[in-house]
Amino acid sequence: MYNFEELESNWKNQPEIQVTEQGFQEVLNGLRKIKNKQRITNVVLGITAIILVVFFFYISGYRSQQVILGISLMIGSLLIRILFEVLSMRKLRKMNAVAHSTDFRNGLIGYYNSRKFVHFGWTPLLILSYVAGFLILLPLFKANLSSGFYTYIVVSSIVLLIVLSIFIAKQIRIEMNNLKRLQEEFL
Amino acid sequence: MNSIEKKYKELYTAHYAKVMRLCLGYVAGDQDLAKDVTQEIFIKIWENLEYFRNESSISTWIYRISVNTCLSNLRTTKKSSRTIAIADVPEISEEHPDADKAHQLALLYACIKKLSETNRAIILLVLEGLPHKEISDIIGIKHDAIRTRIHRIKMQLTKCVSHV
Repeated sequence: MYNFEELESNWKNQPEIQVTEQGFQEVLNGLRKIKNKQRITNVVLGITAIILVVFFFYISGYRSQQVILGISLMIGSLLIRILFEVLSMRKLRKMNAVAHSTDFRNGLIGYYNSRKFVHFGWTPLLILSYVAGFLILLPLFKANLSSGFYTYIVVSSIVLLIVLSIFIAKQIRIEMNNLKRLQEEFL
Repeated sequence: MNSIEKKYKELYTAHYAKVMRLCLGYVAGDQDLAKDVTQEIFIKIWENLEYFRNESSISTWIYRISVNTCLSNLRTTKKSSRTIAIADVPEISEEHPDADKAHQLALLYACIKKLSETNRAIILLVLEGLPHKEISDIIGIKHDAIRTRIHRIKMQLTKCVSHV
C-alpha cells in the first residue's frame, strides 16, 4: 500500500527534462507555421471559390435552371460545411487561454454543445441538399456524357459520400466523447 | 532579439521543464504528445504575453495557460481510454535499480488518467508542489473547496496506485 508522500516523491524524482535551444527554435517555427497555415487556408478557399465560378461559366451553366439549381445545392452545401469548420476552429482558437480553468472548461463545453447543433442539425441537412443537387444534375450527365464516364461519376460519388459520412461520423464521435469527459466532474 | 523576445526566451528556459512534466501527466507519459502540447502552450504564451498584467504571478499565469491548453487538447489525446492498460505499465525488474521507480511512475500516470479532467489538473498541480491558494487561483475554485477536493483526490489516487 503506497502513501501519497511516496507518490509525490516519485513524481519529483522523475528524470530531469532538458531545455534545449533546438526546442526553443521549434516553438518559433510553430509560430511561423500557424501564420502560414492561416494564409494557406484563406488562399485555398479563395482559389476553390474562383475555380467553381469559372467552371460554372465554362459549362455555360447559367443558361439552364436545372444546372444552376443542381450546382448551387452541391457547392452551397460544401461551402456552408467548410464555413462552419473554419468558424469553429477560429472560435476554439480565440477562447481565453488565460481564464480560470473552470471557466475555460465551461467555455469548452459550450463550444462542443454548439458543435452538436452543427453535427445533428446542419450536417444531415447539408448532406441531403448535396445529394439532391447531385440527383438533379444526374439526368444531364446521362444525356451529355458517355455511358462509361457516367457510370464512373455515379460510382465515385457514392464512394465519396460514404467515405465523407464515415469521416464526419468519426469526428462527431470524438467530439461527443470529449464533451462527455468534460462534463464528468468526478472519477 | 528585442526585449519581448528576450523575456519570452527567459520564460521558456525557466518554465519548460515544469510545463512538460504537467503535460506528461496529462497524456499518461506519452512523450511525443506531451512535446506537441507543450509546444502549443508556449505558442499561446507568446500570443498572450503582451496582455500579461502582473495580476497574478507569471508562474500562475503560465500554469493556467498550460491546464487550459491540455483541456482543449482532449481532441488529440489518442489514448483517451479510461481503462488502465496493464501492458503499458513496465514490470519491476531486479536487474535495474530504477525499474521500481519507473513502474511506480507508470502506475501513477495510469491512475491520473482515470481522473476527471479538472481533478487531473488539480492533482498534477499538487504533485508539482504548488500551494493550495495558487491552485485555487488557477482552477477557479474557492480555497476551502479546493482543500477538500485535493484531500479526496489524494485518497482516490493512492488507492488506485496501490490496487492496480
